[in-house]
Amino acid sequence: MSKTPRQITITPTTRIEGHGKVTIWLDEFGDVSDAHFHATEIRGFEQFLRGMESDRLPFIISRICGVCSTAHIMASVKAIEDAYQAKIPETARKIRELLLMAQVITNHSLVFFFLTLPDFWFEEEENPQKRNVFQIMREDPKIGKKALDLKMFGTRLLATVGGRHIHIVSVIPGGVIRPLSESQRAQLSKEAKSGVALAREALALGKSLFQKKWKDFRHVAVTKANYMSLTKGGDLNFYEGKVRVKDVEGKIVTEFLPKDYMDYVDEKTFDWTYAKFAYLKKQGWPQGIVKVSSTARMNVVDNVDTPFARREFLEFKETYGAPAHETLLFDYARLIELLYACEKAQELLEDKTITKPKVRVTFSPREADGVGVVEAPRGTLMHRYSLDTHGRLQDIRLIIPTQVNNAAINMSVKSAAARIIKKGEIKPGLLNKIEMVIRAYDPCIKCASRTVENGSWLRVEVLDSRGELLNAS
Amino acid sequence: MKICMLSLTCCAGCFLSFLSGGEDLYNFLTKDVEVVYSPTFVDTREIPRVDLAIVEGGVRTEADEELLREMRAKSTTLVALGICATHGGVTSLGNRMSLKKFLEQNFPKTQSRVLPGLKDMMYPICTFVDVDYYVPGCPPMPDRIIKTLRSIVKGEKPERVKEVVCLECPRKILPVKPGRLYGTYEKKADPNICLLSQGFICLGSLTRRGCGAPCPRAGFTCFGCRGPPDPLLYRSRDLFELLVNVTSKRTGIPAEEVRKELYANPFVFHAFIFSKTLERFKAKERVI
Repeated sequence: MSKTPRQITITPTTRIEGHGKVTIWLDEFGDVSDAHFHATEIRGFEQFLRGMESDRLPFIISRICGVCSTAHIMASVKAIEDAYQAKIPETARKIRELLLMAQVITNHSLVFFFLTLPDFWFEEEENPQKRNVFQIMREDPKIGKKALDLKMFGTRLLATVGGRHIHIVSVIPGGVIRPLSESQRAQLSKEAKSGVALAREALALGKSLFQKKWKDFRHVAVTKANYMSLTKGGDLNFYEGKVRVKDVEGKIVTEFLPKDYMDYVDEKTFDWTYAKFAYLKKQGWPQGIVKVSSTARMNVVDNVDTPFARREFLEFKETYGAPAHETLLFDYARLIELLYACEKAQELLEDKTITKPKVRVTFSPREADGVGVVEAPRGTLMHRYSLDTHGRLQDIRLIIPTQVNNAAINMSVKSAAARIIKKGEIKPGLLNKIEMVIRAYDPCIKCASRTVENGSWLRVEVLDSRGELLNAS
Repeated sequence: MKICMLSLTCCAGCFLSFLSGGEDLYNFLTKDVEVVYSPTFVDTREIPRVDLAIVEGGVRTEADEELLREMRAKSTTLVALGICATHGGVTSLGNRMSLKKFLEQNFPKTQSRVLPGLKDMMYPICTFVDVDYYVPGCPPMPDRIIKTLRSIVKGEKPERVKEVVCLECPRKILPVKPGRLYGTYEKKADPNICLLSQGFICLGSLTRRGCGAPCPRAGFTCFGCRGPPDPLLYRSRDLFELLVNVTSKRTGIPAEEVRKELYANPFVFHAFIFSKTLERFKAKERVI
């Protein structure tokens, strides 16, 4: 046992989107005194986008994240339309919701099969070099094929309806650029049927593995916080609605319009990570720490309005409580959403009015401000723009799901580390549990670390005792 | 064959595109190669020696450079996948400002002990290491990626595409005389006629094909994500005048007017190849 404070680092953190690192500090008894999840990359989007015209903006801004590019485009065009007070045709709304469902399908199937499934599939003692999706593909080709098929369903939706499989081009300010043809609708609607079947299988698989390991998993990291999500009259909805916040007990604290987002959410920075922290303004820091993404959505909404997913939603609530606080439940809840997205896509595609020709309105740029909010796969996503008379970007503010979850991720990492590391003893296989906790949040460091904002770095806060511990390392 | 997938500063869209390859991808992953290192998908933390390294993203941090150099030293063939790796990508739009100075002035000294330092700007990877093949695109299409990688695995030379996107675009170049240039949301485009002829600034005539022209097919302008074609590879300074000439020719708007309008907007073209170090491309035979 070590007599002096020391630190453990996990670098790079694996099977998450982006570059991260974990530092765990141990006290003189070898117990965990603090732990941090660092984002170690940065790009500067908020700076270099200034001056860009708003008809180009959504397609450049989607490059913040290749994994959730469609969600960024949606938030972006909504912000521009809010600025211009443009009302898009109903058919365009349907096509957009379909594309957002495709986004959820591609993301959630990627995260489940490629990133988190290996943790549930293999035993803890398994050689870490084997613990990956490629090994699963070799061991069980059927599962591997199904994984790719499900992801391909989402990808084909994006390619056909969105014009490209990643960084789609069909969604523009004012609606969508072209109507969906009847033959496309008919073909995709057929594919949606098998998509729903595949999603049900994925859920059944995930559920059985999850239940098998639940006893072992359940206390890994219980992080109590507020929960936030978009909801359309109480229903789960990724594209539109009001933002609802529930507290730790599950009581509705507030419900507000997307355009008022910045009145309710604020951000802060620390000097040890390139990702910012968002929290609820009224409650302040740290009481206002809030979680978004799958479990948060399950906790916030009253209802899921597709038949199979509704059944799973009710079972989830009954089994794990409302609100559910266990971190690893994110993985489970994501599968319910994956099923929802496939069912919703099928519902939208079976509605023949989705091929109506009027899908856009045109307008000319003018000086205005606008806000766009959607539920991205990882949680509530907000874009706010100020545009000048030529429609060029003057000012921009983005609040990304991973920034909102950032505080909770760090809390969960610390609590998982404290359970796993006692008196300086660490079993190597167990460190993976800490990464599992991070993976559960499905953080996107690409998104969270896109910027350095003017001035905000000046308010750097050093957490108590951290300075000393750093010197000791 | 042992391969590794290294992700530097980027949006992760290129590997995602690679993973959108469906059946071909499945066969490639299960029969042709073994992914032995990839922080995004595999738990190995040390870079092993490999036959083929695929690198997405460019170099923005010191850590990016270190990883890249180590990767190069440990790999036989190295492929730059996507426009960030080949040309710097969208992130290099940030090269117009001194981010480094800004950070240095505002960060406490302890910073550098926890987080990797930043480079003064975004660099394409060929600034630091020799690159065997460049596959530009934001992202490149899955079939192009898998086809290229398959050829490399088989020891063959990958098929190259050297020409412009217009060759893959079904739209007809017809004189429509739009009168002025238009933003995408100002006017509906005719679905069969060349977008540039209609007054929308489409970069197809300045951009390498190999994508199948999905954007103009969908009704959206090409915005240059595959970078310049062979004839323009070393002539980035000429791109502006070329675009002025093509636009003027197809729309009938006087060159002077087009020039004025295009000049007013720095983002109009090649938002993806803003990086300074284009001329460092070692050989154009390597651009796929």
